[in-house]
Amino acid sequence: MIRKLYLIYGLGVLGFLGAAQFGGWSLSQVNQMKVVPKSVRDNPGSYRSVYGYYHHYTGGK
Amino acid sequence: MAETGPKKEVPTVSVRSLSCPNCGATVTIRSFGQAINVVCGSCHSILDAQDPNVQVLQKFSAAMKFQPLIPLGSRGKLRGTVYEVIGFQRRQITVDGEKYGWGEYVLFNPYKGFRYLTEYDGHWNDVAPLRTLPNTTFPTGPVNYLGQTYKHFQTAHAATIFVIGEFPWQVRVDETVTVCDYVAPPRVLSSETTSDKEVTWSLGEYMNGGDLWKAFSLPGHPPTTVGVYENQPSPLSATSRTIWKTCGLLLVGALLLFIINTALAKNKTVFTKAYVFDTNDPAGEHSFVTDTFEFTGSRAAPVKVESYANLDNNWLYLNYALVNDDTGQTYDFGREVSYYSGYDSDGSWTEGSRRDSLIIPSVPPGHYFLRIEPESDRKPGRISYTVTVTHDYPVGYWLWIAAGLLVVPAVLVTWRSINFEHLRWQESDHASHSGLVSALSAMSSGDNE
Repeated sequence: MIRKLYLIYGLGVLGFLGAAQFGGWSLSQVNQMKVVPKSVRDNPGSYRSVYGYYHHYTGGK
Repeated sequence: MAETGPKKEVPTVSVRSLSCPNCGATVTIRSFGQAINVVCGSCHSILDAQDPNVQVLQKFSAAMKFQPLIPLGSRGKLRGTVYEVIGFQRRQITVDGEKYGWGEYVLFNPYKGFRYLTEYDGHWNDVAPLRTLPNTTFPTGPVNYLGQTYKHFQTAHAATIFVIGEFPWQVRVDETVTVCDYVAPPRVLSSETTSDKEVTWSLGEYMNGGDLWKAFSLPGHPPTTVGVYENQPSPLSATSRTIWKTCGLLLVGALLLFIINTALAKNKTVFTKAYVFDTNDPAGEHSFVTDTFEFTGSRAAPVKVESYANLDNNWLYLNYALVNDDTGQTYDFGREVSYYSGYDSDGSWTEGSRRDSLIIPSVPPGHYFLRIEPESDRKPGRISYTVTVTHDYPVGYWLWIAAGLLVVPAVLVTWRSINFEHLRWQESDHASHSGLVSALSAMSSGDNE
């Protein structure tokens, strides 16, 4: 029973692997936006990134 | 157990009743002619079943202390043969001041002879005497019998503390024997050595209590098992081996999928360009857009955006927007490149990396450009950096994630199997080397299959 369950589970994992690879999945966090005016090409400063104005840790040991 | 000895003559079935010379109660001998001793069910005196005058061998006047779980006179079919329960004895060993007792049932079939059942904490064994002697390095070495190696489990002095019914040997209360058990689950080889050095060997096979209850048509349920018994087959040992084999095959499948995907992936650099960010540039706006580049193909694919900056004790933050020139769909993200190094009392050190990358998932084909807005401290001045975009980049970590998902259940099953063996050997004379060694040994030998 455990063996059959594991085989089904394993085939599911392979299915997941195939879907992830051939579907181009990634774990990266990227913000997708649907509507960005084409004018951004002529005026890049008109677009404001959600990641803008980054407050950086000026680290180092 | 397969009988290996010469075929016995079929005995005459003979049941006889007699009066107990001690108390006068009627005593029935079901295996008359073969029983050596019979115990009076009323006064528990042990009688000589082969003496025409039924001599009293031992008086045992205490009230019944132990009730057999299978009543005397019960009949049931074991291995295709109907047996009747005709005797019961309770035995006991003392280990570290603790007393451990078990029950032994004498079964009789007039054509097949005697057979035995043992019960300890709900664990049952079907036991038959051996007709050939095993090879042994007595007393604690392994024993070989019919090609199977049995490992020494325990040696103890067992005392008979209660008897009732008929016995094919001279039974006495308080009689002690030295019992050595050797296990190869689901079997156990046992030797019993009497005080006059007479050795008797028997082979037991683990039985499910429920099957026994069914075979003897007993009411209710068998007692619940407690702990792991010495020859109890591990429910997971064989499973563990099979799961690892399946896991290996699935891992090969995962590797093949990865190789096929990597071979099919374009992994094509569609854009790369070097830029300079002057932090002291008085212009307030540093954002710009790149030239357009194309992602070809018919399916969405991962896109890798790599940033490299020749930094030293500084940082560069890049606000990115990957914009589809055809649809306006935008992937917005920010990446930091920072690199610090120095020297202190611990020696030289570095922190961070001059290179960073991010993989954008499932980007449809089309024409794209990047909007880039760099940020950094004002003081460094000019920072050179390069941006590279790779289309249909094969993502390797899915293989590792899949491998982990496949291995974890196999590890869990193996761990449970090892724990089972650990619990088994904890009760043995070899508890100190129990656990992993015994478990792996048992698993690799395939004894439990």
